[in-house]
Amino acid sequence: MNMHENDALDQAILGLPLEEPPAGLRASVLLATAYRPAPAFSFLDLAGLGALGAVALWLVVLLVMGGGSLFVETLGAIGVGLTRAFSNAPTVAWLAAGGATALWLSLFTGSQPVIAAPHRSGRRTSR
Amino acid sequence: MTLRGNPEGFATLVERYDRAVYHLAYRTLQDVEEARDATQEAFFKAFRSLRTFKPDAKFSTWIFAITYHACCDRLNRRRRYTSNELPDRADTAPGPEQQAIALDEAVRLRTAIDALPEKYRTVVTLFHLQGRQYEEIATVLGLPIGTVKTHLFRAKEQLRRLLGGAEVTES
Repeated sequence: MNMHENDALDQAILGLPLEEPPAGLRASVLLATAYRPAPAFSFLDLAGLGALGAVALWLVVLLVMGGGSLFVETLGAIGVGLTRAFSNAPTVAWLAAGGATALWLSLFTGSQPVIAAPHRSGRRTSR
Repeated sequence: MTLRGNPEGFATLVERYDRAVYHLAYRTLQDVEEARDATQEAFFKAFRSLRTFKPDAKFSTWIFAITYHACCDRLNRRRRYTSNELPDRADTAPGPEQQAIALDEAVRLRTAIDALPEKYRTVVTLFHLQGRQYEEIATVLGLPIGTVKTHLFRAKEQLRRLLGGAEVTES
């Protein structure tokens, strides 16, 4: 082949074999990206667990500080407050509007919406 | 293909393009370890930025652009941390063994490409990977299409000179 001719040089360049990547490169790329192990807890899981933990701690403190009566009274007050809030139509409407807006925004900002979280249980684990 | 939230789809793309991405990184950086790291970095950045990928765009162009920028960052770091001018590894005189295998046409051509100045080497490497899609090459490099054609023309001129035994000069 005469590489001094343009077409011949083009063909020679296009026909060059690609570099052989180092062994294990594909596996390490896949493990860092597509097959990265899912975290044990998502952000929402952690937020929920944190909130539950805080409430539990608060209730324990109430029990220790005031005995059973204060605990029962506080739980009753919380129950009354929640019942009042959720029986109020404007409050429920605002909560629904806030939730819907958060979900809608998450579709555009890249954070994973709850309903569209990827299902990872079926992915391959060995490569 | 919808890539977001689709690990299997991204894995298919890794399998399809990892060799080409590594080739681009290796040809640009001329160092196996750095090319390996740049390849991993490029795919990782692509995976994390899937939401910015336009569905009507070509994945190859996108991943090559990310790879090229990762390589540029590494080259800049290399220059910053090296007080002396870096030796052009490709310009070192070949040993007897290399001279023996240089009879092979592909090896001769590859050696000549390695001896090109960086900007021409990258254009020739992308021409190798993308073919005559000058627009795609221009997108990857962030250069006007005319500049890409000029670089490629000059690169080929230098390649012809190198393959004919003449010395290469940066123009």
